[in-house]
Amino acid sequence: MLASPKAEGHRRARRWWPWALLAPGLVWLIGLYLLPLLALVPLSLSEPVSRFGLDTVFRWRLANYGEVLGAYGPVLLRSFGFALVSTGLGLLLAYPLAYGIRFRGGRWQPLLIGLVVLPSLTSYLVRAIGWTSLLGDNGPVLGLITALGLTDLGNGLGLLRDGRLLNTPTAVVLGLTSNQLPFLVLPLVVAMQRIDRRLLEAAADLHAGGLRRFRLVVWPLSRPGLASALLLSLIPAAGDVVNPLFLGGPNERMVGNTIENLLLVQLQAPRAAALALVLMALISLAVVLQLRTGGLDDLALP
Amino acid sequence: MISPIHGSSPRISPRGRRRFLRQLGLAAAGTLVTPPLLQSCRGGGGGADAPGAGGELVISTFPLYIDGDEPGAPGSVARFRADTGIQVRYLEDINDMRQFFARIQPDLAAGRPISQDLLVLTSWLAERLIGLGWLDPLPLAEVPNARNLIPSLRDPSWDPQGRYSLPWQSGIAGIAYNIKATGRELTGVDDLFDPALKGRVSALLEMRDTMGLLMLGDGKDISQPSWDAAQPSFDRLEKARRDGQIRRFTGNDYQNDLLAGNLAACIGWSGDVAQLSLDDPDLRFLVPESGGVLWADVMLMPKGARHQEAVARWLNWVYDPVEAARIAAAVQYISPVEGVQEILAQDPATAELARSPLMFPDAGMQSRLKVFGPLSETEEARWEERFARITEG
Repeated sequence: MLASPKAEGHRRARRWWPWALLAPGLVWLIGLYLLPLLALVPLSLSEPVSRFGLDTVFRWRLANYGEVLGAYGPVLLRSFGFALVSTGLGLLLAYPLAYGIRFRGGRWQPLLIGLVVLPSLTSYLVRAIGWTSLLGDNGPVLGLITALGLTDLGNGLGLLRDGRLLNTPTAVVLGLTSNQLPFLVLPLVVAMQRIDRRLLEAAADLHAGGLRRFRLVVWPLSRPGLASALLLSLIPAAGDVVNPLFLGGPNERMVGNTIENLLLVQLQAPRAAALALVLMALISLAVVLQLRTGGLDDLALP
Repeated sequence: MISPIHGSSPRISPRGRRRFLRQLGLAAAGTLVTPPLLQSCRGGGGGADAPGAGGELVISTFPLYIDGDEPGAPGSVARFRADTGIQVRYLEDINDMRQFFARIQPDLAAGRPISQDLLVLTSWLAERLIGLGWLDPLPLAEVPNARNLIPSLRDPSWDPQGRYSLPWQSGIAGIAYNIKATGRELTGVDDLFDPALKGRVSALLEMRDTMGLLMLGDGKDISQPSWDAAQPSFDRLEKARRDGQIRRFTGNDYQNDLLAGNLAACIGWSGDVAQLSLDDPDLRFLVPESGGVLWADVMLMPKGARHQEAVARWLNWVYDPVEAARIAAAVQYISPVEGVQEILAQDPATAELARSPLMFPDAGMQSRLKVFGPLSETEEARWEERFARITEG
């Protein structure tokens, strides 16, 4: 059958439409994200030309990777450790919170969600600096701990260091947790929104108690939310720069701080690039593993 | 912000949307992990390549390093403007010198002028810039007041002929402490390692100041610093960091911690502590018997600076003892200009400053002050790497 030239033109236009719509975004992503990212690969295999320049020559210098892994392996481990602990802690807080918002929030739901998001409206740099006065040696948090006589307990559990809170791992984890909380709550609320109330009613009709309803209905159906919450929290937490800088001390530096120092202070752009790529590779690996094990298609994202 | 949670868009199937979002999530995984940081090094960094505005003298310097405008009393920048009719853009945009260096490096290395006509940087960086050939000699022929430079800063090691640099202020790295927090007067470098102060001590990220002070404490010569002589001090610092003796490594920000009571003692700079002690009389500054590190921040003209005539006027103006005295009274560092002490002594409001040994070191203090000597390129790399391994964990 012969198509009229007009119909042919229509079809062609229709084929190009989605690309035209995608173009601005694609240009943006390719030009400002993908290309610079790819440029990191040759940079990470280069050598600095001189001590005081950021100019480099490409030499297939794979040793950069060995060097940064050898020197900064412990920092990488620490970063992922902090990210995991803060995400775990955040989930413990976020799950009941999301549950409460979804099933007990009633008409206050939008307001409650707004309140969860509210702290994110201030710059997280400002929040970290705010934490320094709250957690300082003469700050209210430590004052409360001292007044309750919990200092020795805190020291014993390793939460406080010589009775101090600021510039300890605890402070960094607290900072990270508070940053990640909205990213944990929102996907969980989304997942729980999708739970049909009638399922709970049906379970109740079948004489399932509250705990059983939770175990058999709510928990399995909210797990996709858990999976995406994990991703949304773990990824930024592992690369965080601000919290370890302000709330930690030299023993709490994370890999983001190391990359910054390598690039801007030591002027070792190739090593900084290598470390950044190692971090990205590890995170991408974590994401892939997560997507493979967690319910892939049911991932709830806000 | 809240509405998307309540329902998915009707146009895309939930499955397609999820897949799209998942891909977005994967992309986000990458974006969040710092490549922007690395990109920033490739092009000329922020602001440095902006063209200098016509006829305006552009100065980059550290924050709070000059007398500011107060009600009824214009600051030095405003008075210079009124005296000379020259417009000044006075940028307090240098926080970390090494980061500032990374910012101006691409342009200067490529032989392009930067927007600044004058930079205030520490002497070791001045030495590096002179060595790299990235500076123009200062127009000293048109700066008659340069003869007011105090003798101890003439013919400095970083600029042997004194052609490229003129000191802005100089000062001392020593030990700052809060006597209420320490409970006693401190006497020397060993006090920083006192277990009673564990976790309430900080050191400076400025390697020459921290290492210089520790090396002096170990009885080493810092005018010709050697790698081997520095090792005991490096080891001591590393151990103190590991043990949690040292709470933080800081730039200027030790001031907040000192005032907030998070620090009992720290390595700090003389002028800061002099200013802070106005707010908190419990703060003390100690130049240990073993010695303090004398440093100087100097004014430099980057290659191709556009307003050299205005630079000469500025240099001459700030080297007038009357103007220099006002700046000194505000910043309380060691003024490089002769005659400042006499002028401060004449005014009852500032007479006390004129007697301060931190601003005008007497012979006894002078003998304890040492300048950290030059490091070769390869030596410096080795020192900075070890120092960074200690400060950055």
